[in-house]
Amino acid sequence: MKGILIKDLYIAKSNILVTIVSLIVLGFGLSFLLEISALLVLAPVASTTAVFISITNDAASKWSKNVITMPVSRSQIIGEKFIFYILLAVLGIIVALVPCIVLAFFGIDITFYSLCLYGSIGMSATLLAGGISLPCAYLFDPEKSQIVFMVSFMASTGIIAGLVLLVNVFIPVKDNILLVFHIVLAISIMWFIVSYRIATRVYQRRDVT
Amino acid sequence: MDNALTISGLTKTYKDFVLDNVSFAVPNGAIVGLIGENGAGKSTTINAVLGLIQKEAGYVSILGNEEINGDTKEQIGVVFDGSNYPEILSPKKINRVMKNIYCSWNEQTYFRLLKQFSLPVDKQIKQFSKGMKMKLAISVAFSHHSKLLILDEATSGLDPVIRDDILDMLLDFVQNEEHSILVSSHITSDLEKIADYIVFIHEGKVVFFKPKDELMEQYGMIKCGAAQFDALDQSDIVVYRKMDYEWQVLVSNRGKMQKKYPKAMIVPATIDEIILLYVKGGK
Repeated sequence: MKGILIKDLYIAKSNILVTIVSLIVLGFGLSFLLEISALLVLAPVASTTAVFISITNDAASKWSKNVITMPVSRSQIIGEKFIFYILLAVLGIIVALVPCIVLAFFGIDITFYSLCLYGSIGMSATLLAGGISLPCAYLFDPEKSQIVFMVSFMASTGIIAGLVLLVNVFIPVKDNILLVFHIVLAISIMWFIVSYRIATRVYQRRDVT
Repeated sequence: MDNALTISGLTKTYKDFVLDNVSFAVPNGAIVGLIGENGAGKSTTINAVLGLIQKEAGYVSILGNEEINGDTKEQIGVVFDGSNYPEILSPKKINRVMKNIYCSWNEQTYFRLLKQFSLPVDKQIKQFSKGMKMKLAISVAFSHHSKLLILDEATSGLDPVIRDDILDMLLDFVQNEEHSILVSSHITSDLEKIADYIVFIHEGKVVFFKPKDELMEQYGMIKCGAAQFDALDQSDIVVYRKMDYEWQVLVSNRGKMQKKYPKAMIVPATIDEIILLYVKGGK
């Protein structure tokens, strides 16, 4: 699995670098207008686009076919994409924290509470979207999966809103905002794991030509 | 284990195509050429052997294993038409990737082959010509102690000089009796040069699986007129084809037929001619 992860890092290297620089510049720029920690909502979502670049590239170069003839199982091929997705999302969070920490040194008010809140929202949106779009990337052709990829981010915000409303039935959101978003994050993690299992099962019997 | 690859009753159905009960074997130390027109089922057979597509029925044993697992894949070198590597990578980066995929990856062999083929190590694959991409794919296939090479149309679109280099490499490879090759190609002249056995697939079915020497030395073509054709014993005709001014008849024992029909003009048949007669002729 390490080999295919290295291959994806090579493919996504320039995209990752552009995302890192953009997030840092955006972070400092936004600090004049908005609460800087809100960048944590955008960062993981933006950084995971590299996964879809690698999936599209795999299909275009017919690597998807070639790699199956190598000593790598189909579940490892799928697992690597999910791991790559998580790694990029975490990288996005870390990069977004850079301007937050730098600006905190200069006295800008950034609370741990807001970092946790926006971080949870950002990761939840990313995991929910990935849970929808990653399996679809192996089910549909590249054009359709790109549409699913874009729709999945919009869908994830809707799902988060729905989950918050659902949790609100049991726990009042107004008094427990952070707890509620942590519950949403936990559900998103579970969804991502279930999605990985579904994708592996579907891909196991899929003809790759 | 006498065969590196054994295929028996392999079946796969698509909407408009059926790979029907395909059976043949690749003996150890041999090169088997898989021939047939476009859409005949060559790639489908190879894809089923490699586990790229799910077979409906049949049995495939590859290097003594019925299940194609990681250990088996370590010993199989596969070359498809085109490089099938991300074009953004360079041969040097591919080395790093492969080093972490194949336990038996041999860096020295890989770089020696790149040097032998005069392939630039740091240049992106997208800047390579088709021949260079093919040489790269072959370098990869040769760099992890493969025992079985599977090449699917790997020499199509290459110039004769590069093709000849590659054919020499394949012949070198089977000097080791543990090594075997299954190669599908449209270029029958290449297979005439290197193959020990020929498998001819037509409309998803194996028409014949024979030693190449038997085809080249025993098969023949009678070129005759209508009267001479009518005088032929039907059981002697493998297939025939009516041309504008003559009949072409494929026979499976040239020498015997020459004795039986001393006035007939019987010429050796090339693989191309045999295929054409099977595909376009009648029985």
